[in-house]
Amino acid sequence: MVELVLGGRTEAFEPLVTPYRKLLLTLAYRLCRNIEEAKEISQETLMRAFRYLGSFDRKRSFKNWLLQIEMNVWRSLGERAADEGALRELATRNTLEDPQEQLAGKEAREMLFSCLDGLSPREREVFLLRDIEGRSVKETAGVLRTSAISVRVHLSRARDKIRKLIKERFPELLEGQR
Amino acid sequence: MNCSRVRKTLPLLAGTDLAAGKARRIEKHLEGCPGCRKEAEELRAALAGVRAIADRETLDWPEGEWKGLMARVRSGKPGPRPVPVFSAIPRKAWATGFIIVLALGIAALILRIILSPPAPSLLSETIAATAIQPSRDLMKDEVLSRGYPQDVPFRIRREQGALDRTVLAAGHSPEKTRQDLMSMTLISQETGLRVHWTFNRNFEWEEKKQ
Repeated sequence: MVELVLGGRTEAFEPLVTPYRKLLLTLAYRLCRNIEEAKEISQETLMRAFRYLGSFDRKRSFKNWLLQIEMNVWRSLGERAADEGALRELATRNTLEDPQEQLAGKEAREMLFSCLDGLSPREREVFLLRDIEGRSVKETAGVLRTSAISVRVHLSRARDKIRKLIKERFPELLEGQR
Repeated sequence: MNCSRVRKTLPLLAGTDLAAGKARRIEKHLEGCPGCRKEAEELRAALAGVRAIADRETLDWPEGEWKGLMARVRSGKPGPRPVPVFSAIPRKAWATGFIIVLALGIAALILRIILSPPAPSLLSETIAATAIQPSRDLMKDEVLSRGYPQDVPFRIRREQGALDRTVLAAGHSPEKTRQDLMSMTLISQETGLRVHWTFNRNFEWEEKKQ
């Protein structure tokens, strides 16, 4: 499909990236906690993916390549977002269709963001890619352009912080999972 | 393994990111250590809880926005990413270039050592190699009798600790090149003080101030 797009059939780009549209938007949202900014990051990611499709190495995973672009976009745009508290406020205002679902979703989102808040930017990136998106340590290292050792170190710290945060703020979550 | 070391590895164990052998050793420790076991269970539960929350909440593009985005994306032109000049050169080429430069530098250093003339010997070595060992003072008459008065600016009487004021003409003796005495005069530009040092062959010195 990559060849088709590069050959001039640009309409083939949509089926190429559609399987990842939720992934890109959700990951961006978890990183920046603002739906508008998440859309901006996803859009820029897809734009860059289309523009630079010719440099995509066919031996690599297309999904990981997209994630790598998104991380780069997030880092370049993330520098603008200094006030994380304000972003979080905006994020919680994001509405879903059903009011009950909205309430449950809001609680879950609050809980997740509360956990992610306690992590450094690098720990958050590693944790989201490895533990939430299910990338392997090696893939995570590739996406973040760092070493597997660095990923393990940040992952270890992130998990320990998450455990302490949940134990302190949401002990019922620990009980529910045992 | 002690508890402190085990606890450092528990976050990786909880996410199955430890090598099998190490994981087995940690699990074995957990069987006999309730404190570490509790922490490991907390970590696993925390990870499972966060994953469950994350799975419940995924976002998606509204269909209209997605279609609009795809139309905007397709309006561009796909192509290769512009590569910066320096990163266009592969790492192997950089490494090879560095090794060549290093090798040339080492070769130049070796050649310089081989081809350069030997360093002049130290003054102390020269004195030690001198056939006539200095063992006495040179008296004026003795100097004059040897026929090379120009070599000696003035004579020294060590016994008296005073200098003979007779100053002889400086210069090289045509028939004898060895110098028995060496003198040095320091003149202060501010005060005009002149300090005259004279060394004999033993480098024993006499000082005269004017």
